Amino acid sequence: MKRTDAASHAFLGEEFLTWLWFRLETEGGEFDLGKGKVLGVVLDDFLAFAPSEQDETEQILRKGLPTRSAEAAAALRGGRRLRRAKLLLAVGERQWSVVVDGPTLGLRSVRLPEDSEEAETPQDRNLERVQHFLEVHDLVGALYHRFLQQRLRPDYLKTTAESQAQWMSDPNRL
Amino acid sequence: MEKFKRGGGFLAFFVAGAIPNPEGAEFAAALAKQRFRSIEDAASEETSSGWVSPGDPTGGSFAHEDMVVGDAVWLRLRIDKKVLPGKWLAIHRAEAERSVGRALNQRERRELKTDLLEKLLPRVLPSVNLVDALWFPARKVTLLMNTAQAVAETFARLFAQSFAARLEPVDPYLWAQQLPLDGEHKRRLDEVSPVPWPRLERRAGPRQRGGSRAEPAPVAQEGGAS
Repeated sequence: MKRTDAASHAFLGEEFLTWLWFRLETEGGEFDLGKGKVLGVVLDDFLAFAPSEQDETEQILRKGLPTRSAEAAAALRGGRRLRRAKLLLAVGERQWSVVVDGPTLGLRSVRLPEDSEEAETPQDRNLERVQHFLEVHDLVGALYHRFLQQRLRPDYLKTTAESQAQWMSDPNRL
Repeated sequence: MEKFKRGGGFLAFFVAGAIPNPEGAEFAAALAKQRFRSIEDAASEETSSGWVSPGDPTGGSFAHEDMVVGDAVWLRLRIDKKVLPGKWLAIHRAEAERSVGRALNQRERRELKTDLLEKLLPRVLPSVNLVDALWFPARKVTLLMNTAQAVAETFARLFAQSFAARLEPVDPYLWAQQLPLDGEHKRRLDEVSPVPWPRLERRAGPRQRGGSRAEPAPVAQEGGAS
């Protein structure tokens, strides 16, 4: 049966964010995007965990280092997926800050890189900002693509998912 | 020239359908047909939405030099809303109740509101919401610089009415379909179900009893997985 409505695959966006955290901690935060372009990714100071069951509450962690907190470790051990997360994305000198909403993959609270010194006129600045908005959409798309290349493999549950399960339940992860 | 903002959230859409060349007269005419119309003098509570350009917030002109930014087209949606402020209604109701010496009944309250709408609304200025969007014709992608569902629906409706093109909101399924995944991966997209990540109680059980940690429980097979 085909499931093509947005809500039916909302979990995939949450799994993407949770996988990204796993990937950052186990392999580091650099992603080679080809053509000499390297994307650096860091999970920043905002995490929201989806409830495991419908009647459970969403858990939000802000400020400091939420990825290193006991609450985050407990949420992972409990099998909770990340619903929203604030990411810092960097390509060369340019850095974006963005909150990714897992169920919709909407990008919220985006902060673009600083205007470059070369952008002297208002037209130049607008052109740069417009390109930066498209670029952050593309960067998140590139990360999602990496995730799907693993997630949609036939052996995913026996390989990556199993490693991630061990990482999620590891009491020494902090 | 107005500056494009440096931050804020956005919703992405994929564009399905043909749209006229943004530098041509047909494109400007399509926007003008669905241009914003003022409700400044309206005597009823209402909402008006339509296109304006970044260079002209009235919707009177759609010069392509105001809208074309490199490979993108800077669209601007204006949504005006005129409502009778609730506090004015409360003040007039209190005044009426004081003069008759009792609480107004339902019919009287309705009549008072109708009377106030007629008297006050022409003097009330509508709230103005300007929402930007970036359309990248070559990529068939549009970014709406607002994440409110109601705004997204208004934008998608206006876009469809203007260009006979459909905006499909990006979500995990649709985005996956647009990415350059191979055919086998795309087929599996319809079969995936949530990974049943281990729950604390299942994993921590043996440790609580005997002090040694249980091996992770094998994760379930996904439908069709081999």
